[in-house]
Amino acid sequence: MDIFANLAHGFVVALSPINLLMCLIGALVGTLVGVLPGIGTIATVAMLLPITFGLPPVGALIMLAGIYYGAQYGGSTTSILVNIPGEATSVVTAIDGHQMAKQGRAGPALAIAAIGSFFAGCVATVLIAILGAPLTKLALAFGPAEYFSLMVLGLIFAVVLAKGSVLKAIAMIVLGLLLSMVGSDIETGASRMAFNIPELADGLGFATVAMGVFGFAEIIRNLDAGAEMNRDLVQQKITGLMPTKKDLIDSTPPILRGTVLGSILGILPGGGAVIASFAAYTLEKKLAKDPRRFGRGAIEGVAAPESANNAAAQTSFIPLLTLGIPPNAVMALMVGAMTIHGIVPGPQVMQKQPDLVWGMIASMWIGNLMLIIINLPLVGIWVRLLRVPYRLMFPSIVIFCAIGIYSVNNAPVDVILAGVFGLVGYWLIKHDFEPAPLLLGMVLGPLMEENLRRALLISRGDWSVFLTRPLSAVLLAIAASLLLLTVLPVLRSKRDEVFTESEN
Amino acid sequence: MADTMGHSATATRNTSVALGFCLLAIAPQIFEFIWSIGTIFGWGAGRGPAAVVVAHATALFAGAPGALIGAASGDAKKASSEVLLALIYSYPLFAVAIVTLFMTIRSAQDYVGGVILMALALFALWASSDLQGMRGFSFGAGTAPRMFGGLLVALSAGIALTGLLTDGPGMSHYAWRGPLFVMAAILFFALSIRSLGLVVTAFVSFMIAATGSHETRWLEAAIVGACLTIGCAILFPYVLGLPMPMFPRFLVQ
Repeated sequence: MDIFANLAHGFVVALSPINLLMCLIGALVGTLVGVLPGIGTIATVAMLLPITFGLPPVGALIMLAGIYYGAQYGGSTTSILVNIPGEATSVVTAIDGHQMAKQGRAGPALAIAAIGSFFAGCVATVLIAILGAPLTKLALAFGPAEYFSLMVLGLIFAVVLAKGSVLKAIAMIVLGLLLSMVGSDIETGASRMAFNIPELADGLGFATVAMGVFGFAEIIRNLDAGAEMNRDLVQQKITGLMPTKKDLIDSTPPILRGTVLGSILGILPGGGAVIASFAAYTLEKKLAKDPRRFGRGAIEGVAAPESANNAAAQTSFIPLLTLGIPPNAVMALMVGAMTIHGIVPGPQVMQKQPDLVWGMIASMWIGNLMLIIINLPLVGIWVRLLRVPYRLMFPSIVIFCAIGIYSVNNAPVDVILAGVFGLVGYWLIKHDFEPAPLLLGMVLGPLMEENLRRALLISRGDWSVFLTRPLSAVLLAIAASLLLLTVLPVLRSKRDEVFTESEN
Repeated sequence: MADTMGHSATATRNTSVALGFCLLAIAPQIFEFIWSIGTIFGWGAGRGPAAVVVAHATALFAGAPGALIGAASGDAKKASSEVLLALIYSYPLFAVAIVTLFMTIRSAQDYVGGVILMALALFALWASSDLQGMRGFSFGAGTAPRMFGGLLVALSAGIALTGLLTDGPGMSHYAWRGPLFVMAAILFFALSIRSLGLVVTAFVSFMIAATGSHETRWLEAAIVGACLTIGCAILFPYVLGLPMPMFPRFLVQ
């Protein structure tokens, strides 16, 4: 079997001491980020991008991947114990998880979250290994028109799954596309919208914008939210980590359902872990015999979303590794990391860089194992970390971000630009615009423009090429019907329902 | 009674919103003017402030109307960049500002957000107006920016319209302290990292940023700031091997 040979090769790579160390560091940093509220995964990955300069490419990507799934993990710990979701992905876990903790069942809640995450991680790892090769073959049949349509579909998914107004989400994507066009034109080399500023000639750095919109803007926003966040720590000692037999039986089906749902939503572009956890929670509530138990410490409400977000975090690597298209903002940063190391993401990566791809896949499984072994004993330390007051944390984050951006190009102008985008991000938050679609638009912008131009050049300016090529037509049809469905009132209310779940 | 009071309240708010939009409509011109003040002291190369004011004023009051009339009567001339800015960016926003005066804004959050986004899109349209368009069936450098710029104008108009037609939240409150000091810290960092080195810059920036919260206790902040500075000074240049100046240039030499 090819898959097993590949996976075995991957484990050999991932088990080398340096890569094991990178995996451990990534998982720990990720957990830390997940635990601390007010600093998100996107900002951290952006902040640590320059740090990976000195590392070998495989190690660097293993570490960054570790941060991503580690954060899903860490977020659940604080959700359950302190009712502060460190990450958007664990917002729903807090609903039932914290109730369980209040009833003195924090141990089982944490254990189930860990077991669910681990199981989902294992399944997702296998899924990546199985789906990788066939999807790569499919990708080779893709022409520019298909690529363009696929990206349109991805962006539409991002719109459908974004919170709030559809119109605003589309506007954010288009703004992102426009921002991506600043700098030199790929084909003619003409300087576009750069106003003769030399630092803009290369275009806006992706990490710069990400750090501004997600890092600085978040800090500014938290500052004017004012006052220390309410932290009612669960003070009693956590005794008895082991869930009872009944807990295990109760949570097995939700874990399975959460894994399946999360895996699917992770592969779809635009989705990712946040929506997966919301959807899994809603599904469990719909299926439950007695939905009233939810919100009062139902173990299913912990098991399902935790499995779903971990599964989604991992399967979102599939489009990146096979098609070279990042399905969400964190994956977009991974593209940045790959480019820094001279790897062009896309179908050829699987053949040209088997070490990288399979090593990373294998490391995910190892990373998940590490997380389950390390984190349960460390729970106490993570909780103590939460007592670090925000007034000391935020200046530190500002400095770290500033040094991080500066070191990408050794350019002070980048730091100022990130600051400006911080203000832009603050404005976006104030007007209820979502920054995530903007970032996705910015990443896909150059790819989209290039493929659009190429497709039209090949078809000699005939726009109907997107509809006459069957694959492209199907993709566009799916995109159109999705958009139509979202605007329909029935589904709209359903979608709002999913999101309001998080707010109470 | 309550009704009339409510009405007058919206009326005053509308005037200030409209005034804000007018200011937004000439924001690029004002920005260039402020920028050009630097040339008096010999910073940067560009036009002096007087030349900037004259160029934009003539474009706004004479050039652009002239170009409009010219276009209507069929003799199209190549317009200058200032005239284009007035035509593409300022005039539509002035129009929006005037319309605002006569509207009841039902959701200021959406309406103002939509209009500012529209301003961004119009600005992008102006910025890409000097680029080459389609050549036969091949894209020019300016085709895609114009396409997406136009799309964004339409979308943001839609958002602004939602703000007029449906009820929604008003403007949310903007704080000044956090943004001001965090931005000041970032600016200080960017401007002094080259000359003052990592150690001084990181510590001072930390303290500036810490001022952004009213809960800050100075002694505590200074201690944490010092520890963080030492940590960064070890982590970045030595452990990670990133080249970075450590100490102020005048001390090293």
